[in-house]
Amino acid sequence: MPAPWPEKDDHELLALVQDGSHPAFAELVKRHTERFYRLAFRYLQNKEAAEDVVQDAFLKLWEDPGKWQADRNTKFTTWFYRVVVNLCLDWQKRKRPVELNEEMPLADERETADQAMLRNEEQRVFEKEIAALPERQRTALNLCFDEGLSNQDAADAMGVKLKALQSLIMRAKTTLKERMKTYL
Amino acid sequence: MSENQDEKLETMLRSRRVEPASHDLASRIILKAQSLPQVQNISLWNAVRQLFAEFHLPKPGYVLASALVLGMMVGFSTAPENGQSGDASSTTAQSYLAGDEGLL
Repeated sequence: MPAPWPEKDDHELLALVQDGSHPAFAELVKRHTERFYRLAFRYLQNKEAAEDVVQDAFLKLWEDPGKWQADRNTKFTTWFYRVVVNLCLDWQKRKRPVELNEEMPLADERETADQAMLRNEEQRVFEKEIAALPERQRTALNLCFDEGLSNQDAADAMGVKLKALQSLIMRAKTTLKERMKTYL
Repeated sequence: MSENQDEKLETMLRSRRVEPASHDLASRIILKAQSLPQVQNISLWNAVRQLFAEFHLPKPGYVLASALVLGMMVGFSTAPENGQSGDASSTTAQSYLAGDEGLL
């Protein structure tokens, strides 16, 4: 008896998607939408834009599943991270930078209004500084601090060596530490 | 002080706020995909099979075509040897004639 959809791994599902299976595609989307949305949001800081990018990425995969080649010896997620990052960068090139939301929701409802305001301001400045980092440093940060992605996976997704990734993160952190001096 | 800064920066990086996605994002993507056709990537083997299916040649036709291809292959593979032997025979004839000229 064939394994139910949730028990199939990504590569099995992709093989089925390549044969035109809608249920396999649906399972893949349900499994990974959230994590790729988080990555896109970290880049774009805009819910609608992040959703559009994730939708675009999955629909491109559906339309031409042959772009994914299992024999490349790369995990699907690693490859797809790259797809989503590239779409985010394209989106940013096409559109003018998104204004960061002034009214960020409170991180913790138990905070007092003053604490929340400070925290809000801190987050806003922090996101602005991250957005101002060079593209590769920003990508390294976004990938590495995304839960569940190891440094090696992040390096693979960026197509760089582990040492190069570590160096990018180091430089990004140094810059952020300098620019966020008043908040740290 | 610097260690504290590092720790705080790490914490800030790990706790970056992400606005939750719409609850129906996945189902919107799935629904949209249902109306989109897939690009057909035809492998070489499938392309050959399709080509044969298009022509519907009878079996003797395949035999004839195969014999023709085989014949051409044999012909091409033996052609250089014939060329060499032709050169060799012309060389022999030339040396024979040169010998005759010597006698004269």
